[in-house]
Amino acid sequence: MRHEEQPPAEQQPPAEQPADDQVVRDLEDRLLRALADAENLRKRHARELRQQAAAERDRIAAKWLPVLDNLDRALTHAGAGPDALVTGVLAVRDEAVDVMARLGYPRHEEVGVPFDPKRHEVVSVVDDPRFPPGTIVQVLRPGYGDPDHLLRPAAVTVDQRQE
Amino acid sequence: MAKAVGIDLGTTNSVIASLEGGEPTVIPNTEGSRTTPSVVAFTENGERLVGQLARRQAILNPKGTIYSAKRFIGRMYDEVQEEIKAVTFDVVPGSDDSARFNVRGKPYAPEEISALVLRKLADDAAKQLGEKVTEAVITVPAYFNDAQRTATRDAGRIAGLEVLRIINEPTAAALAYGLDKREHETVLVFDLGGGTFDVSILDVGDGVVEVRSTAGDTHLGGDDFDRKLVDHLADEFQRETGIDLRNDPQALQRLFEAAERAKVELSSVTQTQVNLPFITASADGPKHLTKSIMRSTFEQITASLVERTMGPVKQAMSDGKMSEQDIDEVILVGGSTRIPAVQQLVRRLTGGKDPNMSVNPDEVVALGAAVQAGVLKGEVQDMLLLDVTPLSLGVETRGGVMTKIVERNTTIPVRRTQVFSTAEDNQPAVDIVVLQGERERAADNRVLGRFQLRDIRPAPRGEPQIEVTFDIDANGIVDIRARDKDTGVEQGITISESSNLDRSEVEQMVTEAERNRSSDQELRETVDARNELDSIAYQVRRRLEELGDAAPEHERARADMLVGEAEEAVKNEAPTDRVRSLTEDLRDVYNALLARQPGTGGATASDSGAGGASDDVIDAEFDRT
Repeated sequence: MRHEEQPPAEQQPPAEQPADDQVVRDLEDRLLRALADAENLRKRHARELRQQAAAERDRIAAKWLPVLDNLDRALTHAGAGPDALVTGVLAVRDEAVDVMARLGYPRHEEVGVPFDPKRHEVVSVVDDPRFPPGTIVQVLRPGYGDPDHLLRPAAVTVDQRQE
Repeated sequence: MAKAVGIDLGTTNSVIASLEGGEPTVIPNTEGSRTTPSVVAFTENGERLVGQLARRQAILNPKGTIYSAKRFIGRMYDEVQEEIKAVTFDVVPGSDDSARFNVRGKPYAPEEISALVLRKLADDAAKQLGEKVTEAVITVPAYFNDAQRTATRDAGRIAGLEVLRIINEPTAAALAYGLDKREHETVLVFDLGGGTFDVSILDVGDGVVEVRSTAGDTHLGGDDFDRKLVDHLADEFQRETGIDLRNDPQALQRLFEAAERAKVELSSVTQTQVNLPFITASADGPKHLTKSIMRSTFEQITASLVERTMGPVKQAMSDGKMSEQDIDEVILVGGSTRIPAVQQLVRRLTGGKDPNMSVNPDEVVALGAAVQAGVLKGEVQDMLLLDVTPLSLGVETRGGVMTKIVERNTTIPVRRTQVFSTAEDNQPAVDIVVLQGERERAADNRVLGRFQLRDIRPAPRGEPQIEVTFDIDANGIVDIRARDKDTGVEQGITISESSNLDRSEVEQMVTEAERNRSSDQELRETVDARNELDSIAYQVRRRLEELGDAAPEHERARADMLVGEAEEAVKNEAPTDRVRSLTEDLRDVYNALLARQPGTGGATASDSGAGGASDDVIDAEFDRT
């Protein structure tokens, strides 16, 4: 019985019209809600990104605390004489270099390698016959990281024949 | 579909942006930077470098590193004599007397150099976006003539981009702020970049932006501020030690980096420290540069630079036949406009108007160009403008506080639900007070409406689950329903005037909340602590009833005493420390009592732990009505 009743009901325009209006309204409402949802998601994402950045900053900063502690210790023993202080500071430096390496930024201070703008930044140019042209003669400040993830290029002096 | 982008092709740096979900966003390059130096290098072994890599090798390759190409694009050789003196590479006349760069005997047109920069920007952006970049809107200074604009367009074409349009930088900045949607307004754009300074006066309104006048200084920018600070530090160091750090390239580089950092810091704090240990060495051993710089000192040494912006501003206003009263909006562009002294001067020159600077001034031009690209591609038109809730909406809960259900600035339409419970045993009804505002205390917020949900089945406090749903439709009409999950009984109201606050009212409520934040926070913590104590005291009391004689006498006595003290503390609004310590004590007692088995000796004794009735989270409780 029900099966027979339905087709004629759908064909009657007066009955169909309000149903369509309802469908359009529903769809419109769902579209707006989907868009608003996306927008609210975007806001949440932005907020979470900020929280993530703060958490990451905490994590990195914590890795540096032992270095800072050891610097403090070195300074308390500064009276023990320059040699002891230098040994201590050297140890702290190595520790700091290690922290950087563990964060993914190994230290680079190689001399005698060819200049490569992907990892070096020229600070000055000299004519040094001991090296072939375009070679790193001196590293003025070490670089950190690898070319695909460079934190800072090494500041270098490069050899160049003066004409 | 390929993406259309906006590109700010700058003299020193360039930026690329695109529309992402209707919002213009800067796309970082493959090195991870949001700006790319407009530098191209041709190395000895025939390699071509663009951007940061090119800049790094500049000193090694002064003749083969091209920068500031924008100063030469579309210009005749005769016109650029002054510019030629300022650069290290060779500039020669081309076949048609246009300016050409001569690199290792091969001439390059400035548009070819710019094309390489554009190509890198587009390629890097394509990598980031995961789709090809083929169409672009490129910006140029408002004073560029036809030849310069055509050459810029050609640069885009050489880079393989279809240039949808060349637009003026100040126009792009106005677009980024959406000023074109305003009615008729006059806008002053103050653009102090790394190496150039431009002022423009715009007529905006009804989707049209027109440049009335422009003026500027082609050799004034942030780098000059750095240099002043470097000189100041170096002079002082020389006076103290006799050593001129400017003769030592490494020391000079460190000094420049430190000066730039100090400059940036002095925009937000009034004093900063420049600390350069082992900056140099003399016969007496290593030397350190440690110096604190006051903002006032910085302002003193850079005053002449700030002064130099005045002339062009006045010029632009008189050329545009405008007085300071005629300026409706001021937009700041370029990183150097973050300097407080610059902002003060701009305010002074524009009749005390607060300049627009909410959009990053380094990126605003590229962002505006991206908006223009979106408009031209019809992306913006399709955007449905969705409203946000101007203020938070919520309900009043136990202790007279507001529990927010929909936070302010949530995009609507939205539906949010939270579950609440009763605060008393056998509470027959709950009052739902609908609140709007940002304050913690219910009484400090606006009451939008109230209703009661009745016929709650008798149950211990905390057990009934009342689901409160806020549904805000696209027009800001709020429908609030409260439903007892046990019986399915529902009540609700619809409020239509939640959004008819004007902007100043909303702003006032937000600033008030901001001002009272710490005291509000305190109040909230006090109320929360008190509610917590009340709830644990209640649980202990119930557990005692359940256990009956099974509770050891000494534990019962201590528990009774603590519950009594807790009730006293809640009633008399005891200080928070006292409330917290009582809560701790009661929690210990409760845990001890949980370990006891009821005297009835039933097998399943542990399934009726208070609060364990349901897994649903209860956010807050409604006071007895």
